[in-house]
Amino acid sequence: MTQAEVDDTLKRIQEHKGVQGYLIINSDGIPIRSSLDASVTQQYAALIKSLSDKARSTIREMDPSNELLFFRMRTKKHEILVAPDKEYTMIVLQATDAS
Amino acid sequence: MTSQNEVDDMIKRIQASKGVQGLIIIDSDGIPIRTSMDNDTTLHYAALISQLTIHAKRVVRELDSSQELEQLRLRSHKHEIIVAPESKYIMIVVQVPEAL
Repeated sequence: MTQAEVDDTLKRIQEHKGVQGYLIINSDGIPIRSSLDASVTQQYAALIKSLSDKARSTIREMDPSNELLFFRMRTKKHEILVAPDKEYTMIVLQATDAS
Repeated sequence: MTSQNEVDDMIKRIQASKGVQGLIIIDSDGIPIRTSMDNDTTLHYAALISQLTIHAKRVVRELDSSQELEQLRLRSHKHEIIVAPESKYIMIVVQVPEAL
């Protein structure tokens, strides 16, 4: 994927109805892209990184041949979508009722 | 107040849904009180998912203290695990989404 394609994808996600923000963290949990302000970004990065690691190991402990692809957490107001990958993790925050 | 029959019917309905591989209900101590899966699998899920749910609930509250986790969905290669925590219980459903 080229930088332009990445930017386009991020733009598309951000403009999607209900999306409140996104951030991308690297494998050390350091945010490398974010549409949220610095302190919120840091908070999300730290909290979601450790939860994502725990979710991945949960799946692997149930079945070592299986792998976590995606997870989502829903509250009354928001939904947090997390797409963990080898090098990066993408986190999107959206309003629960996006329809 | 939901009667025992209504609870059983609801559980049966979920289990009969297309793609559902199993359903477990655990109490606030992580002890399975209902399950459609074998003993080992049930205990394995109960232990791992209750730990993960505690962690997820804490993260959600730290991000916004006015919010509470209502649902957690874990999508993996082989299946999807849906976790619905309540005050006294956690319901876990394992399903194969149609898209897989």
